[in-house]
Amino acid sequence: MADEVLHANVAARPAAPAVADIEVDRAELDASIANFVQQNAGYYQRIFHKIHDNTSGIPLTFNKAAALLGPLWAAARGVWGLFWGFLILEIIAWVQIGRGTWGELGAESLQQAVRQETRAQQFLERAEAARAAGEDPSRFETLGNNLMRAAERSREAADAAAADALMILASGLILLLILRVAQGIWSNIAYEKQYSDWRVTPERVPSGVNRLNTLFGAVLVVAVMPLTVYRFTVENVPDYLTAFPANSDYYTNTARWLEGQIDSAASAGAGTFDGIVFGVRSILDTVSLALIGTPWPVVMTVICVIAWRSAGPRVAIFTAAALAYIAFLGYWEIAMETVALVGAAVVLCVIIGIPLGIWFGKSMRAYKLAEPVLDLMQTLPAFVYLIPIIAFFGTGNPPGILATIIFGMPPVIRLTALGVRGVPDTIKEAASAFGASNWQILRDVEIPLALPSIMTGVNQTILMCLSMVVIISLIGGGGLGQVILEALQFAAKGPGLLGGFAILFVAMVIDRIVQGAFRRADLKR
Amino acid sequence: MSEAVVELSNVWKVFGKKAQQTVEAANTGELTKAQALEEYDSVIGVRDASFSVARGEIFCIMGLSGSGKSTLVRHVNRLIEPTAGTIKVLGQDVSAMGAKELRQMRSHHIGMVFQHMALLPHRSVRDNVAYPLEIRNVPKSKRWAISDHTLGLVNLEGYEDRLPRELSGGMQQRVGIARALASDPEILLMDEPFSALDPLIRLQLQDQFSALVSELKKTTLFITHDLDEAIRMGHRIAIMKDGVIVQIGTPEEIVTKPADDYVREFVQGISRLKLVKAHTIMEPLNGVDVAALNGALRADGDTDLDALIDLSVDSAHPVVVTDDGRDVGLISKATLLRGIQGGK
Repeated sequence: MADEVLHANVAARPAAPAVADIEVDRAELDASIANFVQQNAGYYQRIFHKIHDNTSGIPLTFNKAAALLGPLWAAARGVWGLFWGFLILEIIAWVQIGRGTWGELGAESLQQAVRQETRAQQFLERAEAARAAGEDPSRFETLGNNLMRAAERSREAADAAAADALMILASGLILLLILRVAQGIWSNIAYEKQYSDWRVTPERVPSGVNRLNTLFGAVLVVAVMPLTVYRFTVENVPDYLTAFPANSDYYTNTARWLEGQIDSAASAGAGTFDGIVFGVRSILDTVSLALIGTPWPVVMTVICVIAWRSAGPRVAIFTAAALAYIAFLGYWEIAMETVALVGAAVVLCVIIGIPLGIWFGKSMRAYKLAEPVLDLMQTLPAFVYLIPIIAFFGTGNPPGILATIIFGMPPVIRLTALGVRGVPDTIKEAASAFGASNWQILRDVEIPLALPSIMTGVNQTILMCLSMVVIISLIGGGGLGQVILEALQFAAKGPGLLGGFAILFVAMVIDRIVQGAFRRADLKR
Repeated sequence: MSEAVVELSNVWKVFGKKAQQTVEAANTGELTKAQALEEYDSVIGVRDASFSVARGEIFCIMGLSGSGKSTLVRHVNRLIEPTAGTIKVLGQDVSAMGAKELRQMRSHHIGMVFQHMALLPHRSVRDNVAYPLEIRNVPKSKRWAISDHTLGLVNLEGYEDRLPRELSGGMQQRVGIARALASDPEILLMDEPFSALDPLIRLQLQDQFSALVSELKKTTLFITHDLDEAIRMGHRIAIMKDGVIVQIGTPEEIVTKPADDYVREFVQGISRLKLVKAHTIMEPLNGVDVAALNGALRADGDTDLDALIDLSVDSAHPVVVTDDGRDVGLISKATLLRGIQGGK
C-alpha cells in the first residue's frame, strides 16, 4: 500500500528534468538584480549572469565606470570595503605622483652644494690673503679644494635626485594604472558579492546609487587625498599639519584635579583602607608562617608528596629537582615568600571570585554591568593601577597582593559564571520538580556541574597571579620579584637569569600540581 | 469513577507581558494564535484546558511538538505558573500554595520523568535515585535502602554504583523512572519519557512501565507525541493541538469516533484490531431468530476484533454478541471486515 501512495505522488507531479537541464529563473533573477542596482540594470544583469556562469578562477569582467571613477564609484554603490582599500592604495600612488611632479627632490643636496661652495670660496680667499702676506697658503688651499670637491658631489647627488623624480613619477603613474585596472575587474565581483548579501539582509546592505553615499565618499576623498599628498610633497609643511594643536593646560589641570581627588579619597577612607591592609596582612602572615616558619625539610617533603599524590611520580621528580635548584642557590626563603604572596592572593581571589561568578552566572543583568569592569581589570596595564594602590594602601606586600588580586580575579569570575550558565536547564528543572529549594539546586546541581569550569578558572587565576610576582616588587612586594628588580637595576645578567629561572620553576611546579589535582578530580566525575 | 487525583479546570498559559489581557480578550471573544501574537505580543501555550485524572488511571496527553502538552503537564507541579484557571492535586489548590508547601507537595506526592532523563552526571545511579529523598532529609541508610529497592523494581540490580553515563539510554531512563518512584508519590508525571529511545527498547519499557504502574497503582499523566504509545499505555487519552485539548476519550472512542479531521488523520494508521470491541460494530438482531443459527458462536460485547476474527474464521454463521447472557447483536463476516476497515 505504501508503494501505491508513493507512485500516486510521483504521478501527480510533472516528470523531473535531468539535473543538467535545470535552469535558473532568469526573469525573477533579473528583476531582483534590477531592484538591487537601480541604475544601469541592463549592464549589471549581464555582468552578474556572466559571474554566475563562471566556472573557473576569477570571472573576468571590466567595469569602466569603476576604473574611471576609482573609489568614488565604490562609494556611490556603497561598496565600502572596496572604497577604503583602494583609497589607501591610491593615496600611495598619488603621493608618488605628487613627489615626482612638485617635490623638489634634489633641493637639499643643492642647498648643501651652495653652502659648501661658499665655504670653499672663503678658504680660497684666505689662502690668497696668506700668500699675499708671505705665509704658507697650502693649508687653506687643501681645505678649499676639498670643499669644492664635496660641493661637486652634492651637485651630482642633486642631479641624480632630480632624475629620480621622473622615476618616482613614472612608478606612481604605473601604480595608479594598475590600481584602476584592478578596480575595474574587482568591482564587479565585489558588487555581485554585495548583491548576494543584500538578498539575505536587504535592510543592512546598501543597494542602488545613493546620493548621500556618493557625497560622503567624495568628501572623504577630498579631505584625505590632497592633504596627504601635500604633506609628503612639500618641503616645509606648516606646523599645524604635522603636530596636533594640543593645549598643555588641559593636561596639567586634569592631572592636578585627579591627584586632589585621589588624595582626599585616600585620607577620607584611611580607616577602611588600613583595615583591608590589616586583613590581607594577617592572611599573608599565616601563609608565610606556615611556609617559612616550618623547617625546610618538612615543607620540601610535603610539597613533593603533594606533587606525587596529585600529579604522579614524574611531576614529583620534577618538583624535587626544582626545589633543589631553589634551595641550593639560596632562594629558599624568598621563594617561599613568593609562594605565600601568590597563595594569599589566590585564596582571596577564590573566596571573592567564586560567589561573584555564581551571582553573575545567575543574573545576566549583573554580569552585563560587571563585564566592563572585568575587562578593565584585565586590560589595564598593571603599572597604571599600581599608582592609586600606593596612594590608598601604601607600599609593601599587602598592597602587592591587592594589585595581584585585581589582575588575577577576572578569570575565576568569568569561568565560574560560564560554568553556572552552562548547567542544563533540564537538570535544574528536574531538581526543582523533586522539591529542591534554590539553595539545594545550587549546592547539588549547579556547583557540581559547573565545577570543571570553576577549576579551570582557578588554575587561570593562579597563573595570572604568578605573572604579577615581578611587577609587585615595584611597589615594595618581596619575594623572587625583588631579586629580578634588583638585577634589572644593576643590569646584573647572572643574578637576573638565576632568579628568573627560580620564578619559572615555582610557576611550573604550582601549575603542574594544580592541573594534576584537577585532572584527578575530573576523572572521578 | 473514583476520586479525581489531579483536576485542571479552565487552565490558560499565555507567554508575554500582556498575558492577562490576552486571556480576557480570548474569553470574551474569538482570538486566534496569530491575533494574540499581533495584538498582544503574546504566545498562547495552553488554551482553556480542563480535565481530571482518577486515582490509578494512566492519562495520556498526545500532541505534536509545540502543541503545549509539556507546558500543560508542568502546571500540575507548578513548574510553570498558570495565567488563569485552577489546578487541584489531591484536593489541594496548587496555585494557592506557598513556596514551602509547594516543595512539600513536589517531594512527597509527585514524581516526574523527563524526556532527556536529566540525571545528575556526577552522582552514582543509587545517589541519583535517592536524590528526591535527600531533598527531604531522609537519612542515608534509609535512602540507600529505598533506592536499591526501587532500582530492583525497574530491573537495574547491580548497577547501583555506576555513573549514569556508563548506562545505555534505556537504562538511564529506567533510572529516571526509579528516581520518580523513590519517594513513593501518588502521582507520576511522564514527560515524553520514551521518545528519545529506539523503538524496540521503547516497546519493552512501555510494557514494563504499564505493568509497574498498575501494580503500584500510581496515577499517571503520560505525555507523548506518539499515538500508538498513547493507545498502548493510556486508559484515557487527551489530544492536544495548538494548546487546545481537541478530544478526551478512551483509546476506542478516539479511534472510532474522532472529534474532528485533525484527530481523524491521526487515527488513520492505527490498527483497530485490539481497540474496537464487538458492541461497537455489531448489527442489531432486528428479529433474527438466533435459535435458528445452529452452532453460531457467541462472544461477549467486550471482545475485540482480533478475537472475533479467530471466532468467525472457521464458522459459516455470524457471531452472536451477548450481554449478560442475553443475545444482543450479530456480526457477520462482512460486518467484521468493514469493522476492521473502520466503517464505510
